[in-house]
Amino acid sequence: MAETVNDYLLRAGRLPDGGLRFVDRGEQATWVGWGEVRERALAVAAGLLAAGAARGDRVALVFPTGVEFFAAFFGALLAGAVPVPLYPPVRLGRLQEYVNRTTRMLAACEALVVLADARVKHFLGEAVAAARPRLGCRTLAELPGGTSADIAAVAAAAAATAATGGGPRSDELALIQFSSGTTVAPKAVALSHRAVVAQTEILSGCWADREGLRHSCASWLPLYHDMGLIGCVFPALARDATLTLLPPELFVARPALWLRAIGRYGATISPAPNFGYSLCLTRVADAEMEGVDLSCWRAALNGAEPVAPGVLRAFARRFARWGLSPAALTPVYGLSEAALAVTFSALDRPSRSGWYDREALARERVARRVSPGAGGAHGENGAHHAHGAHGAHDAGDARGLAGLPERAQEIVSVGRPLPGFRLSVRDPHGRELPPGRVGRLWVSGPSLMQGYLGDPESTARALRAGWLDTGDLGFLDDGELYLTGRAKDLIILRGRNHSPAEIEQAVDSLPGARAGCAVAVSWLPDGASGEVLALFVERSRHATPAELAALPDACRGAVLAATGLALDRLEILAPGTLPRTSSGKLQRSETLRLHLAGKLLAPPPVTTLRLARAAARSGLGYARWRLARRREG
Amino acid sequence: MGTDILDGIAEVAREHLGWEGPLTGDMRLVEDLRLDSVRLLTLAAEVENRFRVVLSETDEAAIVTVGDLVETVRRKLG
Repeated sequence: MAETVNDYLLRAGRLPDGGLRFVDRGEQATWVGWGEVRERALAVAAGLLAAGAARGDRVALVFPTGVEFFAAFFGALLAGAVPVPLYPPVRLGRLQEYVNRTTRMLAACEALVVLADARVKHFLGEAVAAARPRLGCRTLAELPGGTSADIAAVAAAAAATAATGGGPRSDELALIQFSSGTTVAPKAVALSHRAVVAQTEILSGCWADREGLRHSCASWLPLYHDMGLIGCVFPALARDATLTLLPPELFVARPALWLRAIGRYGATISPAPNFGYSLCLTRVADAEMEGVDLSCWRAALNGAEPVAPGVLRAFARRFARWGLSPAALTPVYGLSEAALAVTFSALDRPSRSGWYDREALARERVARRVSPGAGGAHGENGAHHAHGAHGAHDAGDARGLAGLPERAQEIVSVGRPLPGFRLSVRDPHGRELPPGRVGRLWVSGPSLMQGYLGDPESTARALRAGWLDTGDLGFLDDGELYLTGRAKDLIILRGRNHSPAEIEQAVDSLPGARAGCAVAVSWLPDGASGEVLALFVERSRHATPAELAALPDACRGAVLAATGLALDRLEILAPGTLPRTSSGKLQRSETLRLHLAGKLLAPPPVTTLRLARAAARSGLGYARWRLARRREG
Repeated sequence: MGTDILDGIAEVAREHLGWEGPLTGDMRLVEDLRLDSVRLLTLAAEVENRFRVVLSETDEAAIVTVGDLVETVRRKLG
């Protein structure tokens, strides 16, 4: 039984199919067995130790998906250091933005050294100069060359310490992952070996091999993301199995390559956030799917952002032609503070969603099932059920729209707690609520973080007596978890978390905007294919007409330039419109609540037009918007 | 040559980014074309695909406008 991630690495590589398969843009694959990963990691460990790394030192990693990432990650661990995966720059993106973020993250984790890909290193100069890690920034080739004797010594030491219990203890840190908020208040989640091993064992237990079935995973998720690293890499390593990897930028450019890789290599497990499934619907052409067989795909895990029921159904229906089983789609819930996964829906049946009274959810915070016209209150989101007796709806489909009662809201179940986890829905005072009541979700389990590195205040707010206050809102129904929103100030787009402050600060000094009076929120509207990002900006009392006319465009441009995010909605409000606490602090979730209730002041005409365009992207949103306009008269 | 490349990029923008207006060299990718990080990535990949070139990180760092992109592709095509 492994106690540390190092244990997994030291014993892997015995099975012939244990290793990494890297797929490139020409769909050519390169195979690297776990044994070779270990050899390369030992060389990096010897180099790090020779450079002066000591136990517990943080080693930041900036690599694209490739074998060097693994050599560096496990090399840091074998040297007794703590790896901190960071993300490489976005293609064609703003470098200044990237440099600022990376500087903040390097400072937050107090990195000793940055190990980087040779091409990426070129861009890290400014960040490294600002954060000043003691050993600077190096490529793997620039580490002191470990002689074969050095490497043998590290290997012998690693093997010996593992045998004698002198290796890293299970309560020492295995890795640090950033949960969100990069330029503003980065939150560095510190995970112990014990937590990571516990999470890995739970996930591996979800797909135990049996006669005639050897599970393997395919993933395009970034390796600095918890679902990519903890969800895909560690279980494959622990099971000494195959992991097929595509670079995330390749997936975004050609989503079909993901599905083709699943089919070609017979992957049984492949996760993605809602965004990934949605992108396949819009950017995969039928011609690209020729000859692809997805019948091997048993667990199409869907997590890291709220799950849109319409996307689930559309994906199941569209790809059924290529053998996708309706039971494969598996909504899940987790967060980086719990290492990764907390709940899974059943792996062997279609996902489930329920229809709930919208008003009751919002006002009374009670989950009351309603019947969506014809059919039952609960539907299964399988391809064969889309228009069947279960009454499941197809969002974005005219029939679905017409049949949808205005008062009902469809929410996807993210399933039941994984072994060892407990869920507790609580009121704002931390008192447990009965099933069916909406409240803050607290979780306890074997893989909770130690805390936020260097931030005892945030840690104390999140971790209380063995429980993690997730800041997510939801309710339990028939033992399954349904999420309704977030109490925490967090933007989740395309599976990645962002701090609202980052977006708000981008517009802070624009001419015509009232300084410090902007609120950014994101949420999943009914019928939308993913979360939408909205920004509410109060105009300055002294704004000139010319400034006001230019403000919407200026806001959109400033947010894009600062964060790489496009606003779906923008409202310019009169001064004083945004809700504040008695101490004058802006209230983000209250802003969203008022906005959804139509109780924030109406925007000027120029932005109304834009709002209509944004709303028009989802048929249902558009219908609601038109209804609302008509009511306003 | 430059016009051909611009036309090709305009086609990529229409086909893959839903850009319907005219495309001129002075337009900035972020501020004027309003490309977010996913769409920037799509643009880079589709331009590479269309012109059979590979953009390096160093090339990309200097690209702010459509004209910069045209110029980079022209240089790559030699």
